[in-house]
Amino acid sequence: MKYLKSWPVWMLMGLIVVALLAVGTTGDNGPLTQSDRIDSITKHIACPTCDGESVYVSRASAAEAIRNQVAREVRAGTMTDDEIIGSIANTFKAQVLLVPRATGIDSLVWIMPIAVLVCAVAGLWAAFRRWRRDNSGEASADDVALVERLLAEDPTDEDNV
Amino acid sequence: MLGVEGLAGPLGRAALLVGLIGAFFGLIAAVMGTLNEDEKVLRLVPRFATLSCVSAISAFAAMEWAMITRDFSLAYIQKVGSKSTPALYNFTAVWSALEGSILLWLLVLTCLTSGIVFKYRTRITDPMVGWAVATMFFVGIFFFILTLGPANPFAAGAPGVLDGPGPNPLLQNHILVVFHPPILYLGYVGMTVPFAFAIGALITGRVGEGWLVETRRWALFSWGFLTLGIILGSWWSYEVLGWSGVWAWDPVENASFIPWLTGTAYIHSVLVQERRGMLRVWNLSLLVSTFSLTILGTFLTRSGVLNSVHAFSESNIGPYLLSFFAIIVVVSVALIGWRGQKLHSPGTIDSPLSREGAFLANNVVFSVFAFVVLLGTVFPLIIEALQNRQLVVGEPFFDKLAVPAGLTLLFLMCVAPVLPWRKASGELLSNRLFWPAWGGIGALAFSVGVGATGFAPLLTFGLGGFAGGAALRQLVLATRRQGLRGLVGRANGGMVVHIGVILIAVALAASNSYTHSQELLLKQGVVATFDGHTFELIGFKEESDARSTVIAAVVRVDGGKSYTPAITKYKSMGTNIGTPSVKSSFVKDIYLTIEPPVKVSSKTAKIKVFIKPMVMWLWIGGGLMGVGTLLSAFPGRRRKPTDATSALIPSETSA
Repeated sequence: MKYLKSWPVWMLMGLIVVALLAVGTTGDNGPLTQSDRIDSITKHIACPTCDGESVYVSRASAAEAIRNQVAREVRAGTMTDDEIIGSIANTFKAQVLLVPRATGIDSLVWIMPIAVLVCAVAGLWAAFRRWRRDNSGEASADDVALVERLLAEDPTDEDNV
Repeated sequence: MLGVEGLAGPLGRAALLVGLIGAFFGLIAAVMGTLNEDEKVLRLVPRFATLSCVSAISAFAAMEWAMITRDFSLAYIQKVGSKSTPALYNFTAVWSALEGSILLWLLVLTCLTSGIVFKYRTRITDPMVGWAVATMFFVGIFFFILTLGPANPFAAGAPGVLDGPGPNPLLQNHILVVFHPPILYLGYVGMTVPFAFAIGALITGRVGEGWLVETRRWALFSWGFLTLGIILGSWWSYEVLGWSGVWAWDPVENASFIPWLTGTAYIHSVLVQERRGMLRVWNLSLLVSTFSLTILGTFLTRSGVLNSVHAFSESNIGPYLLSFFAIIVVVSVALIGWRGQKLHSPGTIDSPLSREGAFLANNVVFSVFAFVVLLGTVFPLIIEALQNRQLVVGEPFFDKLAVPAGLTLLFLMCVAPVLPWRKASGELLSNRLFWPAWGGIGALAFSVGVGATGFAPLLTFGLGGFAGGAALRQLVLATRRQGLRGLVGRANGGMVVHIGVILIAVALAASNSYTHSQELLLKQGVVATFDGHTFELIGFKEESDARSTVIAAVVRVDGGKSYTPAITKYKSMGTNIGTPSVKSSFVKDIYLTIEPPVKVSSKTAKIKVFIKPMVMWLWIGGGLMGVGTLLSAFPGRRRKPTDATSALIPSETSA
């Protein structure tokens, strides 16, 4: 059992995972039908008359019109998904895009989550450093007395956590 | 001249006024009694709590009465009432718009306040209870003021109105309208209780672990109701909206999800405080965040501010909610600052590779996730305020950032359940993670074997198997030791919740990644095929009443049972609403919608078919989360304080 759980076995498990992910990822062929492709594209476009709904979700007539336009472009088969989204954005201005651009002030929506994550991880790292420094590992006389006193008392209830 | 049908308005207004007076004097009694240690005054608190609760119940009953009797003298009934609305949806129409929703909120809040006062009636002289009750009265006063001012459901309407449009069509065509909003509100409003006790602890300076023990079940139940409310909302969206999805990241959904994220962080990190006496400031901050975010979410979704910054001035309720939000945040932060010295925890976390280390990592991910959702929700406001430009932040943005956050949380669910408190050795981890890891590999291999593709979904399936293995391992060990009692308690009930979450994650990954759709032009008597399934148009059927006309296509699926995707035309509004029809199974759903135009006499129908794998597991996972929450609320095995707080770490020489 000890050898079963040794590091070479863990390495083997890691290799199996990588191999399976590689096989699965290379087999990804994208949308199966034209309808799948239309759905995928319309998920990126906002309905211009709705409150933040995508063309894919909305049943409004404006959304229906854009869906039909996308369907025509998909059937024509001359443009990529990004080109179709770009042409719709040119027609309706950028506000129909559901993904903010990564330029100008709009980029803040991408930068701020990363900045907050970095700050949070750095804060956690600093906290662990401080705890390691504070944790002398030596029990003081007060600590020893406290433990002895508690051991002498009747145990009270506490949830199993 | 007032007829019986015109009484609801004055009665409702009077009840709200009496309720406000009751809450006001309740607040005064709780504060003065606690400050002066005057038991006689404190004994009055339960009476005022009962008075405000009975008043809120009376106001709600008056509103229901007005709705049932179609009392069109009230503006609210003119807005959401209709003579043609069926009885059930007429009943639920009370909470179908702003004023009624706030009334429902008030009803739940005053009942909870009364419940808290009743539970602690013998300890009402305890200053922490006194301040907690005072906080609940304060929140209650705010909502009474809302219902008497900017969100008054009993405001008089224009004279001479004899009928109304009824509630939004989407709120009168599915049974879930009965359950989803009240359950969600139980979650929202329930968060007031732990928040109130946190404020009580801060004011009294008893910032140890006592207030946590008082409120842990309240926090758990509130979280459970919030979870259930969100799941039911997703189910409703799936069954009603016709786009085949369960979550669109719209502001209303986000408003419920953000406090759920911070609440989930809290119910994990609170364990560290209970066990190790640490993270006091952090836990208080999470509770304050969770409660204040419910208010902020209500402001964002109810004030109209998210449609346009300029709509802010047109809304009456917005400034009230924003001011209340600001008061909560400022007072809470000031109290935390005031008690800063007492909140300092003497303990330390020995190692990141420990249960408490995993909880901290979990908290970082949940908090950043909550920040991302909040940012995406309010970013259009920021841009409009700064540049007077319209911007929409939608599903692709949230998906892009939610996927890594979700995968990280899944990874933490693999590791955290096997970690001991304080410190784990590499050997211990290797021992405990070995079989769960094989579970993950098995799930991944199975997924690839059945043709699943794509990096993110495959990683989800693999981590899902791994995390499921870790949760099952904990449950097997617990039930082996304690029999069925091994399923209860926070640790074990929590593992049942984890399994529910894993099922939801896997189902979401599968249904979002492998949904296929096709528009089929079905002709009567001709069988069409898509994705291995057959579809045959049998005909149309039409049902009509005073409220609406429903035209449904009858479609036979796979030569068996017929399904009826429909379009409902609501006569008073002239609105057409599509209603999907779904063939569900454990493997996949076949989701049918009918595309307009639809004529009963037609021999053809344009049907959109979505083949959606594993959707049913979303609802099963949601149910398991509810069951797990219930199991968590029961006390588990009692642990002696003299027991080791962590498992023994095997020595290097042990096998």
